[in-house]
Amino acid sequence: MTVLDAPRQQGSPLRRIPAAMLALLGVLLALILANGLVDTGFFSLGQLRNTLLIAAPLALFAGAQTLCMLTGGIDLSVTMTATAVAYVVGSRAASGDSAFTAIALGFLVALVIGLVNGLAIGVFGVNPLIMTLGMAAIITGVLTVGSQSFLGGATRMPQIVLDLGRGTFLGPLPWNLLVWAVLGVGLVLLLRRTGLGRLVYAVGDNRRAARLAGVQVWRVETAVYVIAALLAAVAGILVGGRSGAVDLQLTASYLLPSVAAAVIGGTSILGGAGGYGGTVLGALILTVLDTMLTRLAVDESLRQLVAGAILLALAWVYVSSTRRGATRRRSSA
Amino acid sequence: MTVTAPPVPQMPPPTQPRGRLQRFLRDEAWTGALVLLFAGLLFWQSTQVRAWGSFELQTLATSTLPLVFIALAQGVVVIAGGIDLSVGAQMVLFNCVAASLMEGAGFGSSLALAALTLVLGAVVGVLTGWIITVSGVPDIIVTLATSFIWLGLALWIMPQPGGGANPSFQEMFVGSGTAYWPALLCIAVPLLVVWVPLRRSRIGLSIYALGSDPQAAFLAGVSAPRARMTAYALAGMFTALAGLATTAYTGGGQASIAVANTATLGSVAAVVLGGIALTGGVGGLIGPVLAVWCLFLIPANLLSFGVDPSYGEVVRGVVIVLVVLSGSLLRRKWSKA
Repeated sequence: MTVLDAPRQQGSPLRRIPAAMLALLGVLLALILANGLVDTGFFSLGQLRNTLLIAAPLALFAGAQTLCMLTGGIDLSVTMTATAVAYVVGSRAASGDSAFTAIALGFLVALVIGLVNGLAIGVFGVNPLIMTLGMAAIITGVLTVGSQSFLGGATRMPQIVLDLGRGTFLGPLPWNLLVWAVLGVGLVLLLRRTGLGRLVYAVGDNRRAARLAGVQVWRVETAVYVIAALLAAVAGILVGGRSGAVDLQLTASYLLPSVAAAVIGGTSILGGAGGYGGTVLGALILTVLDTMLTRLAVDESLRQLVAGAILLALAWVYVSSTRRGATRRRSSA
Repeated sequence: MTVTAPPVPQMPPPTQPRGRLQRFLRDEAWTGALVLLFAGLLFWQSTQVRAWGSFELQTLATSTLPLVFIALAQGVVVIAGGIDLSVGAQMVLFNCVAASLMEGAGFGSSLALAALTLVLGAVVGVLTGWIITVSGVPDIIVTLATSFIWLGLALWIMPQPGGGANPSFQEMFVGSGTAYWPALLCIAVPLLVVWVPLRRSRIGLSIYALGSDPQAAFLAGVSAPRARMTAYALAGMFTALAGLATTAYTGGGQASIAVANTATLGSVAAVVLGGIALTGGVGGLIGPVLAVWCLFLIPANLLSFGVDPSYGEVVRGVVIVLVVLSGSLLRRKWSKA
């Protein structure tokens, strides 16, 4: 893995990561404190639970996005994948399948979507942005037609999905937090402790060098997009369970925040730098911020402005602190 | 690599006629294929629709007008080596600006306000280009962030759908009756007056150079900030035109996030199908226009085939993916040859 280590020694961004994480943690704590000042009920268990309930799916979507971004790609089909899975689970369960079968079918759909994305990007070299954009369009079309025919009729989420989506596990902790925690730890371990994780960074850092070093880049990319689709499937099931019903716009509002959370968390869209820890903080920051602005009854317009300004400011700080963007490599390279 | 001067002066300039001819054929082949595809789709539609005529052409030209403009905006930025995820948000912003200002205005003052909107578009573009240059943050992130900001501004200007437009001003874009030529003129004039001279000028060449190979462009003395800001300014003017066209078409303004997102994604699709390489420096602005029209006609034609038009979205996705796929396969073949 000298390929990996060589560029790290110069700027030693590894030493900076803790500082950046601390700064993010500070931002998060400040936001939580501000939230507490704005609304004394924020620290109540119910409110805490609400915040976590919203944060978990976003963090899963952002985890999928982080994986793809680490290889220098992006997955704009995560939310439509999630919606498709929720549709499949809901309609299969409504037509009498057991919860297990319904969920298994949902994951199968996600697996196929992820495989198609990954093979097209890894083997055929289709630009990730375009491939996943096209995939999102394809899924949208299929679901639009399907909701009137083969996926039609009432969708009914199985009880276990409803429990996972909105049920309580312990005290203020919702079940979906537990799901997220397990998958999140898995994702961190995958990136830090496994060969695949190292290869993800290697491919994102320098694709050509990785290939010359004998990495089968297409395998890494296929694996990444499959994992991303499966994470999106879990998120889709959680969101579907929370709302109890499925429609085409079920998860649409998560798409841009999923990219934003990864960027705020310090993952470079050019690949090779970042990790899931920062993304989790990014997702929490976005959620707490949104809760606060909702509490303050701030206009939607100001909320958008604040979200954009924060994203821009943090990205700016990252780039000027790591100087990675100075090379201005293209994300699609 | 096509437009830039070689980085080392001693190297002979790559002007082998064979390469140039090949390149010319390849570039023109793409546009030519698009023209054929468009003509075929149009002919197909004419055989399906009874009494096919100027009404269908007007529908095609006017309802795609906003999308054509933001595809042009995206095209300029992608040629310069960037990508702009805020074109849809900009369009919505300028739609709200124009609709709120033009409510109850006369034709003359509407024109003045339209000019003001164009200036605002250029300002927004320069600002975007400046932020990208100064911060060093990748285009995709900067424009993702600014898309939130522009949408916020649009919502602030127009919390509820409203505003209005002068009827004569509307006719300038969408035409009266079944006249389809005003919409076509609206596309042709900016292209001929602004883009064609610009492309032949020094700054236009530098836009292609920047997109083709930033390092080589820098070594050849191209000012990247200037080229980038020009490209984004031009894109901003095109998004302003898209906003004006939306105002004229709908007769009002609406700060819709869904409209912005759909438009942005559509612009990327049109640019790719229009033969502009996402790696920058390749392509022209005729392709995206034809691509938008083709992407509009495909679902419409499917309807006449008895296929649910909702599958149009599927077909669109498949077409886009296949186009990029074949493009990258061809490139691989060429580079091996």
